[in-house]
Parts: sequence; structure tokens; C-alpha cells
Amino acid sequence: MLRYIGKRLLLFIPTILIISFVIFFVIQLPPGDYVTSYVASLSAQGEVFTPEDIAYLRDSFGLDDPWYVQYFNWIKGIITEGDFGYSFNYGRSVWSVIMDRLYLTMGVSFVILIFQYAVSLPVGIYCANHQYSAGDYIWSFIGFLGTATPNFLLAILVMFWVYKATGQVYLGLFSTEMLQNGMSWKYVPEFLGRCLIPLFVIGTSGTCSIIRTVRAQMLDEQAKQYTLTARAKGCSEATITYKYALRSALNPVVSGMAGSLNTIFSGSTVSAIVMNLQIQGPVLLAALRSQDMYLAGTIVMIQAVLVVTGMLLSDIALAWLDPRIRFSERG
Amino acid sequence: MEQDVKQNVTDDTIIKVRDLRINIKVDEGTLTAVRGVDFEIKKGETLGLVGESGCGKSLTSKAILGINDKKCKASGEIIFDADGMGPVNLLDLNPRGKEIRSVRGKQISMIFQEPMVAFSPMYTIGDQINEATRLHITKDKKESKKISLEVMKKVGIANAEKRYNQYPHEFSGGMLQRALIAMALVCNPKLLIADEPTTALDVTIQAQILEIMKELQKDFGMSILFITHDLGVVAGMCDRVAVMYLGRVVETAPAAELYAHPMHPYTQGLLGSVHKIGTKNQDRLFSIEGTVPLALNLPAGCGFYERCSKRIEGVCNAYDPELVDVGGEHKIACFACTGCPNAKKEGKADE
Repeated sequence: MLRYIGKRLLLFIPTILIISFVIFFVIQLPPGDYVTSYVASLSAQGEVFTPEDIAYLRDSFGLDDPWYVQYFNWIKGIITEGDFGYSFNYGRSVWSVIMDRLYLTMGVSFVILIFQYAVSLPVGIYCANHQYSAGDYIWSFIGFLGTATPNFLLAILVMFWVYKATGQVYLGLFSTEMLQNGMSWKYVPEFLGRCLIPLFVIGTSGTCSIIRTVRAQMLDEQAKQYTLTARAKGCSEATITYKYALRSALNPVVSGMAGSLNTIFSGSTVSAIVMNLQIQGPVLLAALRSQDMYLAGTIVMIQAVLVVTGMLLSDIALAWLDPRIRFSERG
Repeated sequence: MEQDVKQNVTDDTIIKVRDLRINIKVDEGTLTAVRGVDFEIKKGETLGLVGESGCGKSLTSKAILGINDKKCKASGEIIFDADGMGPVNLLDLNPRGKEIRSVRGKQISMIFQEPMVAFSPMYTIGDQINEATRLHITKDKKESKKISLEVMKKVGIANAEKRYNQYPHEFSGGMLQRALIAMALVCNPKLLIADEPTTALDVTIQAQILEIMKELQKDFGMSILFITHDLGVVAGMCDRVAVMYLGRVVETAPAAELYAHPMHPYTQGLLGSVHKIGTKNQDRLFSIEGTVPLALNLPAGCGFYERCSKRIEGVCNAYDPELVDVGGEHKIACFACTGCPNAKKEGKADE
């Protein structure tokens, strides 16, 4: 097992290097660069640039070098100094831009993740144990609806309903008052209240698909012979559900968790924009649009690292969960 | 009622099944898979329940433990002299309740057709055998492990201590069947139901497993309900045989008697289709024409009518024969063998 994890960790480094190369290549592919889009947006507002100004800007950002030299410098900076480059948009280092929103993003996403599993596991189990009952139909209906409805649409609808009901607009996680006076403990209840809408909206789609998975898996497992053996042995229904069926049904749920780390880091993008959440997703979108390449590249690369780490973690969890996987790895 | 029930079980009868019917709800209507099955098993006896796929033998055996699918509704009587409860109709017990669970695995246990899927792949063999011990005998961990290991050794699992901590996928099919038998016998049950226990195993392993079962029966003194479609296996294992066709017992007799004098055309057909080593049989094996009809909206009359070589038109397709004692514990349900239905039966059919 340890050897296996070591092997996976060694593979980790070349994987990340290749990914970073591809990311950088793709990000610089569109014609033009940050200066082009910067000049274009300022020209639209009436500013005048001479070719000398543009050349000066380009030179100062190091954009005249061929892209692979830029890539090499960027990677060298990351490895030797832990410097992820400079964000043109924000006019400061990429790392400080990311750190700005890191804790909030992680907090919000983590709570959403907990919410998803806390709701979907029990509901999935209930639906499987009461297949074709009224409760099962109701949850299945909600499940399909939640999976099929785009999050941003749900976000708008929920905010509209909340406005109708309370007369308050809950946009973003912080009220203007909070932003003006700075955070203090007295705002905590309101902050938590403001978290509810994003929690519900972003949590729903994930929750619904996990419910479907758990239900289908549980039904599969309950139809298997070993369930009958356990019953014939005198096991209670609770033992059959939790000790036997659920343990086997968890496999796809655990492998589905591979992406969660990344979700925790970046949060959702479109819904975050609709709900004006100060999390990482919208930053990436803006960086890509204005060709703020070091910021975009760093965010995507961190996401890649997290996806790869998530996969490794979920594989380890699977091996811990399922003895068949554990043993095939040994051989 | 209580009195009646008690009279039904005589001293040496372990279990008595009377008029067992099982209906299964399907989209097209109600399928009557078991249509009034009667049999009883005496102490220490092995009863073979024989029939082809779909005749209801597995459903019958699972009905005893109450572990059939929820779609199956069983009616009739399965009288079992349960420890601590006295004679009870197992069908009256809540299939998820405590009482039936104290019978399952402890007083009546079951082994299954495919040992490879009968264990959960997630837990060690030892854990799964020990679960039965812990449920029914002792909660003490050391004590229960000792008991489980003992039984594992008894069924011929070499290196039991090491095997105890192994997972099902590290076992061969034959070893798994031994483990399954160990799990079934660990609580010293009165009745062991063996649902085609050797069908999924190759022939040499089959012989070993049957040998072990016979030895253990001597050791433990339990009765066995042996379900199979293989008449060759029955001959070596069973004291008595009940032949099932389309949800009914059509013939029952002591094993030797049945092989010597099969009477029902279906039994004769079954025996004719067994290949005998040593006979210079140049001809093809005998086969029964046709297939088992679907037990949905069955026409009146004997279920075997369509395929029977001795059918009597106007009788066999009008009345359903009942089991009639022809002497020497040999019972048979066939008009062609026992004569035409009498007036009483006619009256019954008219109802």
C-alpha cells in the first residue's frame, strides 16, 4: 500500500508539469495579449495610446518574449522562489490575489460539500429502502428537477422568491453595512443567513445527483445474493442496510469525491457571479477574459493539482473501503 | 387454534408444510408460482425436493425462512417447532420481526446455489461466519471466534486461523461452499435448507461437498431439505424425495422406492433423462416434450397435461389431481396412475 502511494506521488510531478505546459500554451493561444485587451478597453473610453506607450507596456510585462520563454520563466519563478507571477488586472502578485478569496471560497465550498453528503446519503438510503413509495417518488421528482435545473436559474428564482417574501435583497455574502464597518461578531447571524441561499442553490444539483447514485447503488446491492445470505443468517434489516448494502454502495460515491477538493478551492463560477459571491470562480473567468495569463494559469494549475490529489485520495479511500481493490494493488 | 397447531407436529416431525401457496404480483397479473405444496420432514431425515427450473422449489424453501421478495405473498401453513416459542406457523411471523430472526440462522439455516456471490466481498469470511455465532450464541468475542473456527475446521477448511482473516475473493468456489456450510451449521440448526448447493461447482468438488454434508448430518443430527434438479445427486443424499412440477408436489416416496418404481409420467420422464454410466445406450437421452407453462392464468386441470404421454382427455384437463397415497409412503398426484377422479372431486372442482 505504501509503495503504491509512493509510486502515485512520483507520477504526480511529471503529470503536473505536463498539465502546466498545456495550460500555458492554451491560455496564450488567443491572438493578442493582456496589453492588447487593456489598450482596447481603455481606448473605448477615449484614452489615446501611442505605439511607444504600447511597446513600453509590453516590454515592462515581458510579453515580447516567445511564449515558451515566458512559460520557462514562470515555472522557474514558481519552483525557485514560489513566485506565481504578476497579475496585470490587479497590479500585484498572483498569490496575494488568490489568497484574498481563498478562505472564504474554502469555507463556503466546504459547507456546501458537507451539506450535499449530509442530505443525499440518508435520502438515497431512504429511497432505496422504500422503493416506489410516495416518499421515493417525491424525492426522485425533486432529484430530477434539481439535476435538470441550471444553478444560475435556480439562483435567480430563489433570490426573487426571497425578495418577494422578505422585501430584502440578499446579494452576496456581505451586506453594505458589513463592508463599511468591517466584520465583527454581531454580523455573524446575518452572514450565516446570507450563506443559506448559495448553500441551497449550489448544493442542490450535487445533492440530487448523489441521491440518484446512492439509491441506484443501494438497490443493486440489495438485490445481490449476499443480502439474502445475511437475512437467512438472522441479521436485522438495519445490519443488512448499513453493514452490507451501504458499504458496497459507497464505491462510486467515494470515487465521485475526487473532484471535491477542486470544488472546495474554486467554488462555482456562473452561480457565484449571479449571486455576487466573492469566491474564486469569477476571478478565473475575469482573468481569462482579459488575458491576465499568470493569474489564470496559476488558478487552473492549482485546480489541476487539486484534481490529481483528489483522485489519489479517493483511490486510497477506495482501497481502504474495498478489500478487492486493496489486494489487486498489492499484486 | 393453538391446540390444532400443536397436534400438527408429532414428536419426530421437524417441519410440516401444508397447502403452501405463493403468489407473485407481476405486471400482467398474479402469478401463482407455488400452488398448494405439502410435505413434512422428520428429525434427522433428508428430503430431496426435485424439479426443473421455475417449478417453485426455491420459492418454497425461502418461504420457510420468510426471505422471499416482498412481491411474493405466501399463504398456507409452515408449522415449525421453534425453541422458545413452541410450534408456530412461520408464515404468521413478521418477516422483519425478532421472532423469525431468532429462527433464521439458528434453528433453520440455509446454504445457497452460488457460494461465490453468497458472501459480501467487503468483509472477511471469518467476520461473516462469526456474525451468525455472535447473533445467536454468544456476544463474547473470544468465545464466538473459537466456536466459529471449530466449525470451519469441521467442514474441512485447512489452515482455518489464516483463512478466518481472508476475504471471499481469496477463496475457491468449493472452499466458499464449505465456508457457507460452516456459517449455516455454526449454531447447530434443526433444519438445513440446501438450495442446489453443488450446482455451481465442478463435479469433483460436488462429490466432496456432498460427502461433507452427509458426515456433518451424522455429527449434528440435523434434518436437511435438499433442493436440486439433479436426480443423480438426490440418489446419494436423500431418504425421501418429493418431485415438484409447476408449483405442486406431483409425487413423493422414499428415495429407493421412487427410483425403483417411478409412477408419475413426469418422474418417469425425469429419470429417463438421467444418463447412466455403463449402459450401452446408443440412443439419445430421453427428453420430456415441451416446456413448463407460465404459471399465469393457468387452465383448469393437471399442470403436466400438455406434456404428458398418458393424459386422459376430458379428465386430466378438467380436474387437478391431488396427492393420493398408493401405499408404502408413496404418494402420487396423477389420474392416469390412481384412477379417475371420484364424485367428491367432481363436486370440489365445481365450486
